Amino acid sequence: MLVVQGIIDGILAGGLYALMGSGLTLVFGVMEVINFAQGIIVILGAYLTYVFATHIGVDPFVTLLITIPIMFALGYGVYMLLLRPIKRDRVIMSLLVMYAVAVVIEGCLDLVFGGTLVQVSTPYATSSIHVGSLVFPDIYLMAFGLSAVLLGVLYVILYRTKFGRSLRATTQNTTAAKLVGIDVDRVSATTLGIGVGLGAAGGMLYGMTASFNAASSYDLISRLLVIVILGGFGSVWGAMAAAIIMLVIEDVISVVWSPVWGQTIFYLVLAAVLLFRPQGLFGRRMARAQ
Amino acid sequence: MLVFGDVFAGYGGGDILRGVDLVVEEHSLTCVVGPNGAGKSTLMKLVSGLLHPRVGKLEFNGTPIGKASPRQIVKQGIVQVMQARNLFPELTVRENVELGAFLVSDSSLVRKRYDEASEMFPIVKDRAKDRAGALSGGQQRMVEFARALMTDPVLVCLDEPSMGLEPRAARTIYQSIRTMHAAGRSILLVEQNVRAGLELATHGVVMENGRVRLEGTGMEVLNNPQMRTLYLGGTIEEGKVASSTGAHAAAPPGAP
Ligand SMILES: Nc1ncnc2c1ncn2[C@@H]1O[C@H](COP(=O)(O)OP(=O)(O)OP(=O)(O)O)[C@@H](O)[C@H]1O
Ligand SMILES: [Mg+2]
Repeated sequence: MLVVQGIIDGILAGGLYALMGSGLTLVFGVMEVINFAQGIIVILGAYLTYVFATHIGVDPFVTLLITIPIMFALGYGVYMLLLRPIKRDRVIMSLLVMYAVAVVIEGCLDLVFGGTLVQVSTPYATSSIHVGSLVFPDIYLMAFGLSAVLLGVLYVILYRTKFGRSLRATTQNTTAAKLVGIDVDRVSATTLGIGVGLGAAGGMLYGMTASFNAASSYDLISRLLVIVILGGFGSVWGAMAAAIIMLVIEDVISVVWSPVWGQTIFYLVLAAVLLFRPQGLFGRRMARAQ
Repeated sequence: MLVFGDVFAGYGGGDILRGVDLVVEEHSLTCVVGPNGAGKSTLMKLVSGLLHPRVGKLEFNGTPIGKASPRQIVKQGIVQVMQARNLFPELTVRENVELGAFLVSDSSLVRKRYDEASEMFPIVKDRAKDRAGALSGGQQRMVEFARALMTDPVLVCLDEPSMGLEPRAARTIYQSIRTMHAAGRSILLVEQNVRAGLELATHGVVMENGRVRLEGTGMEVLNNPQMRTLYLGGTIEEGKVASSTGAHAAAPPGAP
């Protein structure tokens, strides 16, 4: 039964990590840039929710109506103002820029909120559904549900819209995308906006399920990187599957053994996969046409 | 219709094109030949907007396009099939071809052109639902051609379309180029197979070291004695006839 509970916990939490990780892998697919700021962006989303929910009294889920647009604009703006002007060594310079953005956001959050751990508190934070001896915390059920909805929206955008087609085309061959008239800069900016927006939505859920401060972003970004690497860089489906698999493994080991081992295994699996299947579990294409 | 006036361009480490003067006439089939590294693909990238001239004039129908983005260039009616394989490998053949009409908003027009393209290139119809990356090199080229025609372009630029293809597939490619030209499109072609390219062409251009060295009708260029010198490893010195060989010996190595 302990194992079943671990699997349930893992799947529910995995949905949340799938949400945060899909934003990261999507951006990589289009720009070949690892958004090192994704971890702190999740935390920023969590703090925004914290401010609205705790100080203004808005329900955390309602705050998404404000935070997602704000964070989308942030991502879009960062691309247009900081990444687009880069003329040379695009990938490595973009990486540094995103790192700088992360450091700046972290500094600001530290300044405003200090290092104290906080958590978004809600009336439903502690309630749960019991089925036999199994526990389904309400908050995790909601988090999983919202993640599923947002990932569903992402699916529709990617596969049912003209923008989605131009995004997938850009991911596969940037030059060919330009030659058919796709505005690659606009696609990139929008993608970064979406990635950051997804991160913020993840942050709101993260802030309700865990206590956090600015420094929590390091643990987050490492986990997200593991998920994105395991899923195969750029593969949204891979990231989703990897998120659930990893969280299930971690939670099962945590309940039957110890939480410390749960986290260690996370990185051991990464090392093993990189050794035997460097393209990730679900990745297909490492090199791409120029 | 397309005019290069003393164009200099490169990739940031010195000029690759060093004063290119060239006019591509409306309705012509202009074929550019020249040794590897002469700057032919660089020239083509200027036309598609992937690269911009450092100095010099680049005009299309009187409009300067030297600073235009690829998107603006496509809107002007210029389309390019690059030297490297350039499909979206994970998308289907159909999606690839439809993306050629990315800037066409009238969906009934897109469908009409798609039908025309799949008529002209049967591979598009036969493999519509397959991943483009699963096709052979020659088949992919056909799909790229079909995609290029989706905007109904006035100028089609083709960079070594026969590269890497066996002779029969190459002949199919040449036939499609002839058909496009007969349909009233102007064509700027870069071709490795000098004889095949120049025989097809109304205008021939020889590039070497980032400049235009010879120009004329396709046949004039093909039969120019200096061609032999160039392809035997020499260079063409402007204004000097470097070889006295007869016209018929001018077939460069590699020609069928
Ligand atoms: N992206 C690039 N960055 C830097 N230099 C480049 C780039 N592409 C081409 N070059 C250089 O520009 C010169 C001309 O290359 P280009 O591709 O235009 O030649 P080409 O005439 O098309 O040759 P080929 O017949 O082999 O296709 C070469 O010296 C090449 O090394
Ligand atoms: Mg070339």
